[in-house]
Amino acid sequence: MSEPAVRVRDLVKTFEVTRKSPGLAGALKGLFRSERTTLTAVDHVSFDLDRGEMVGYIGPNGAGKSTTIKMLTGILTPTSGDVTALGLVPWRDRRAYTKSIGVVFGQRTQLWWDIAVVESFRLLREIYGVSEADYARRMKVFDDLLDVGRLLPQPVRKLSLGERMRCDLAASLLHEPTLLFLDEPTIGLDVVAKANVRSFLKEANKLLSTTVILTTHDLDDIEELCERVVLIDRGQILWDGSLRGLRDRHLPEARIRFDLNPIPAGDPAELSVGPWRAARLSQGRYQIVVDKREVGTADVLREVVRDLPVLDLAVGEPDIEEVVARIYRENAALRRPGAEALPEGGAPGAVAHRGVRRG
Amino acid sequence: MRSLRFHARLLALYFAQYAKARLAYRADFATAVLASFLGTAASFSVVLLLFSRFPHLAGWSFHEIVFLYGFSLLPYGFFNVLSGNLYEFADRYLVEGRFDRILLRPVSPLFQIFFESFRLESLQEVLTGAVAVAWAASKLPGLSPLGLALLPLWAVFGAVIYLSVFGILTASSFWIEDRVGLAPPVFNLMAFGRYPITIYDLKVKVLLSTVIPFAFASFYPTTLALGRTSFAPFFWAVPAVALLFAFLNRAIWRRGIAKYGSTGS
Ligand SMILES: Nc1ncnc2c1ncn2[C@@H]1O[C@H](COP(=O)(O)OP(=O)(O)O)[C@@H](O)[C@H]1O
Ligand SMILES: [Mg+2]
Repeated sequence: MSEPAVRVRDLVKTFEVTRKSPGLAGALKGLFRSERTTLTAVDHVSFDLDRGEMVGYIGPNGAGKSTTIKMLTGILTPTSGDVTALGLVPWRDRRAYTKSIGVVFGQRTQLWWDIAVVESFRLLREIYGVSEADYARRMKVFDDLLDVGRLLPQPVRKLSLGERMRCDLAASLLHEPTLLFLDEPTIGLDVVAKANVRSFLKEANKLLSTTVILTTHDLDDIEELCERVVLIDRGQILWDGSLRGLRDRHLPEARIRFDLNPIPAGDPAELSVGPWRAARLSQGRYQIVVDKREVGTADVLREVVRDLPVLDLAVGEPDIEEVVARIYRENAALRRPGAEALPEGGAPGAVAHRGVRRG
Repeated sequence: MRSLRFHARLLALYFAQYAKARLAYRADFATAVLASFLGTAASFSVVLLLFSRFPHLAGWSFHEIVFLYGFSLLPYGFFNVLSGNLYEFADRYLVEGRFDRILLRPVSPLFQIFFESFRLESLQEVLTGAVAVAWAASKLPGLSPLGLALLPLWAVFGAVIYLSVFGILTASSFWIEDRVGLAPPVFNLMAFGRYPITIYDLKVKVLLSTVIPFAFASFYPTTLALGRTSFAPFFWAVPAVALLFAFLNRAIWRRGIAKYGSTGS
C-alpha cells in the first residue's frame, strides 16, 4: 500500500491558561498573581489519512478538533508528537506545504474582506502560480457546481454566510490541493446552503481525489459524506472507523415500533412480548428497544407479530446524535472524580488505531 | 531571484487590487487625499515659519530647510502608505484571528502584513516632498550631483528604517497583551528626526542615531547633497543601518511567529 497522505502519531497540544477565580476575592487575587494551569487540548492523537479519503473529525465543542486541524495545517506547533503530511512537517516546512493544501475555516473567511471576490481569486491565482488556462477551467467548474459566477463582482463583506462559504470553498480548491482541511464548513448555513456545500464536496473529492478531513457538529454532514469518522472528546480519540461500526459498538439497538388494533384493554403503559417489554408511546402505539448484542431483531419481530394484533410496524435505529451523546456520557462518567482510572487508550471500547476501522 | 520576481509581481497585484477597491469610492478618496495634503501643508508651513523667524537658525538657510523637510516627506510618505496594517495588526490579525490565514499562504508573513493594505492618500506626501526638493534644489547653488542622484535610493532606505522600527514595535504584540504599547511615543520621535539634527542636544542626537535611528531615515541622507561633509560617515552608513534594522525586524517577527505557533495567540 502506498504511503498515507497524512500520518499523525501521538500528537499533543497543551496551552497555558490563566484560571480566573470566581468573585471579587478572585479578581483581587488575580491582580497580584494569576494562576496558570495547563490545558491539554489534544491528547496523544494518532491516525492516518489515506490518499483520496474523506474523513469526518467529530466531537463536541472544545473537544480539540480545531486545535488538531491547526497543527495539521502548520499554524500551530505541537507540544509533542509527529505529523508527516505529503512527506512534509507542516509547521516546519510551511512555505512548501501550504502550496499543496487547501483550508477552510467556517468561522472566518480566507478571502480579502474589502475587495471583490474575483480579485481575491486573481490574487490567489498569482500566489499559487495557477496558469490562465487552469484558472479559467476551474472557475468554470466552480460556477457549475457552486454557482459562484454571479458572486464574483461583489466584495466579500457583502455576501451572505452561505455565499461566502461557497466562495471560500472554491478559493480553497483553486490550486487543486492534494489535501483539503475543512473546519466546520457548514456552520451557520441553512439547509439549502448545506446541501450545496455537501454535494460540492462529494463532487470535488470524486473528481480530484483530494484527501479531505472535515470537522463538524452536524452529523448529517458525516452521514452524507464520510465513510470513516474519527471521534474526539477532550483531546482523545474515542473512535476511528465506520459510522456503522460506531453505532454497533456503542448503541447497538434497534427500535421496533408498532400500532395495535384493537388497543389492548386498559391501555397499559407496558406490554410483555415473550421475555421483552414494549413501552407505550401513545394510545395503541408501542416500542421495543432491542439490544442487538443479546438477540436478533428478526426474532423479536416474529414474536411481536405472532403474539399481538399488529396493524402497522416499523424498525428504526438510533440516529447518530444519540450514539454520540451516549459515548460522551460514558466518557464523562468515567472521568468524574472517584470513577475508576481510564484504561490505556481512553474509554472502554475506544479504538485508537486503525486495526478495527472499517469494521 | 525567482522569489524576488514573485514577490514584486505579487506586490504590484496587491497594490492594483487595493487601489481599484479604494478608487471605487472616488469622492471619498479625493477627500482623503485633500485632507492628507492639508495636513502636510500645515506642518510644512509651521516648519518654514519657525525657521524663517530665526533666519539661519543653527546655520540652515530657508531653502535648505525646504530641501530637508521636503526630503523627509519621501521616506515618511512611503512609510505611511505601507504602515496601515502595522497599527491594526494586534486587533485585526491577532485578536480577530486573521493571522491564521497569513500562515496558510505560501508567501512570507511579513510581506503579507506590509502589503495587504495601503494608505493610498499618503502617496500625496511623496509627491509633495519631491516637488519641494526639486524646487529647493533649483534655488540652492552648488549641490553635490552624487548627493542628489542618491536621494531616491536613500529615501527608500529611510522608509525601510521607519518600517523596520515600527515592524519591531508591532511584533511586540506577540508577547505583550497591552496592545497600545510603544508605537505612539516612538511615532512622535519621527517628527524629531525630520529636522536638522544640529538643533538638538547630545542626548537626542545619540538617540536618533542609535536605538531609534530616525536621523538616518531623513536627515543624514540630505547631508551629502547639501555639502555638509562632516556628516559623511553617517550618510554612507544609511544603507547599513537600514539593512541592520530590516534584519532585526525579520528576526523578531520569526520569533513572534514561533511564539504564535506555540500559544495560538
Ligand atoms: N490558543 C488557545 N489558547 C488557550 N486555549 C485554547 C486555545 N485554542 C484552543 N484552546 C482550548 O483548547 C480546547 C480545544 O479547543 P478547540 O480545538 O478549538 O475545540 P473544538 O474545535 O473541538 O471545538 C478548548 O478547551 C479551548 O478552549
Ligand atoms: Mg472548532
